[in-house]
Amino acid sequence: MAEVKLGNENIPVFVEKESKSFKVKRVIIYSILILWCAFTILPLYFMIITSFTDPNSSANLQFSLIPTEFTLDSYKYFFTFNENVLRWLFNSLFVSSIITISNVFFASMAGYAFSKLRFPGKNKIFWMLMCAIMIPGQVTLIPLYILVKDVFNMTDSYYALIIPSLVSIYNIFLMKQYMTSIPSTLIDAARIDACSEFGIYRKVILPLAKPGLAVMGIFSFVAHWNDFFWPLLVTESSTMRTIQVGLASFKFVDSTMYGPLMAGSVVASIPMFILFFSLQKYFLQGITIGAIKG
Amino acid sequence: MAKIVFEHITKEFIDEKRGKVRAVDDASFTIDDKEFMVFVGPSGCGKTTSLRMIAGLEKQTMGNIYIGDTLVNNLHPKERDIAMVFQDYALYPHMTIYENLSFGLRNLKTPKDEIDRKVKRAAEILSIEDLLDRKPRELSGGQRQRVAVGRAIVRNPKVFLFDEPLSNLDAKLRVQMRIEIAELHKKLGTTIVYVTHDQVEAMTLGQRIVVMNKGVIQQIASPDELYNSPVNMFVAGFIGAPSMNFIQCKVDNDRFIAEDIYLPIPEKFLKAMSKYQSKDIIMGIRPEDIHDEKYSQTVKNKSEIMANIKVVEKLGSENLLYFDKWGNTITARVSSKSKIVYGDKAKIVFDMDKIHIFDKETEMAI
Repeated sequence: MAEVKLGNENIPVFVEKESKSFKVKRVIIYSILILWCAFTILPLYFMIITSFTDPNSSANLQFSLIPTEFTLDSYKYFFTFNENVLRWLFNSLFVSSIITISNVFFASMAGYAFSKLRFPGKNKIFWMLMCAIMIPGQVTLIPLYILVKDVFNMTDSYYALIIPSLVSIYNIFLMKQYMTSIPSTLIDAARIDACSEFGIYRKVILPLAKPGLAVMGIFSFVAHWNDFFWPLLVTESSTMRTIQVGLASFKFVDSTMYGPLMAGSVVASIPMFILFFSLQKYFLQGITIGAIKG
Repeated sequence: MAKIVFEHITKEFIDEKRGKVRAVDDASFTIDDKEFMVFVGPSGCGKTTSLRMIAGLEKQTMGNIYIGDTLVNNLHPKERDIAMVFQDYALYPHMTIYENLSFGLRNLKTPKDEIDRKVKRAAEILSIEDLLDRKPRELSGGQRQRVAVGRAIVRNPKVFLFDEPLSNLDAKLRVQMRIEIAELHKKLGTTIVYVTHDQVEAMTLGQRIVVMNKGVIQQIASPDELYNSPVNMFVAGFIGAPSMNFIQCKVDNDRFIAEDIYLPIPEKFLKAMSKYQSKDIIMGIRPEDIHDEKYSQTVKNKSEIMANIKVVEKLGSENLLYFDKWGNTITARVSSKSKIVYGDKAKIVFDMDKIHIFDKETEMAI
């Protein structure tokens, strides 16, 4: 028991001490979390320090935690290695942006319809889509490739890179689940407030779905920015390559240019960092605060 | 003219578990122009569905609905010239209060200066002028409710629809808002359809009340008539708090026999009781018509019984006594001067002139 001085009196107070086992538990939890963080950050750290090494010395990979040199030569090498490097970056940006925008648009509309509108066969169509989601991508890859190459003759074009990903069922599912949480009375209120069905989607649903859209947008962008296999399959010319496919060209038969490869990876990560930090506020935002009771 | 006519309205839903569910069953009535009509009933009785059908948010399975002289069966909510206040306020959280109030008018392409004038007038009526720049999350429950009412007012509609608007407010605020809604009706002189499960709200606000149960309209009447002349046991039990006591009795010449107790049949019922001789009936008596014998001087037609009091609730203005009799718990609302306490064997008086009698089979009033 401790004592606190209040005026001229000493008042006894009980101070709850942390028990020893609680302290040990906390030390263990923090240690695990710090180790986990280190493992997560390590590849990123390795990428950054390697990108500042000499392009030739880093051809033979030597891993050290403390950087021994600092040079921008790998970046220079990366940008001058191929005349289309900027084009690859542009291709990735263009393809990922269009796919993200179209997913935000179509998946949010479909999600709204599945969560809030009544129409015949709604549940059947939704479950059909859910079944389609369960088919692994590898299974549909070959039919999709044949469709793009032989049926529509779209290979080596933006169409081939973009059209198959205009809307993903996973995103429709994500938006449907998210929009279910938006109170239906808001939609009723908007209907009575003389709003058209598209007006309700645009003026009420979309602003309220921003956090969900942000999450979906980031996922879509990152997934397509990092996509390697599909662009590799459907592009042939160097000008149509995306950055991920382009980066693979730093790997040769007998060696890998780790410095330029990592410099390219750092450059390729920048748009994702920008996207993530510009949208992160929506992750923490509660959408319906004040809309309804409570 | 904004009277509302329900013509044989039926609404059925398809429920995955229960199959076809009839939410409203052949409802026909007319709500007069400028009338304050309240729909009341327990949860799931079809009152909100009826309101939503007037609003156009649900389409009836059968029947016709008229607003004014217009058949509105196939009209979109925006074409019905109605405004609705929702139970959970339904304010758009991403808009300011000004934008919330003006949303409907903007959708109707009303000129900006007119919107501004109407919003400010509604804000003035509801004393929310200072809140116009705020977002709904920054307001208290009562303020949000005012904004929800304001959103209805700005539209200047033919009909106001209220869907349990006060049920999320605390008791004190509910009384205050109730008075404000009654004043608003006088001020605006518009037809109001108000849904509630709270019979006190229904009795205090409604000019007429529709009592519903399991999708069927039980009675449409003024509050006084509902209270004094309920048509069946459901209405009798639902209207009034605490609710009416029901006692099963056998008719024996000019008296009721309830187990070992004899109660004289009031003169006005003697003729009707002649065909119930030796049959069971249900006698209903409101708690306020059961008195402490010591404070029953005003009661003319008394019947006395002895009761073992199991609970006494002192409410200040009156006391509520609870005692077990005839297999039921009987409630009596007696004078606050009553000295009866828990555990007493007390002499209790029934005011037999105030009793109601119901057919045991049909549960209809006799």
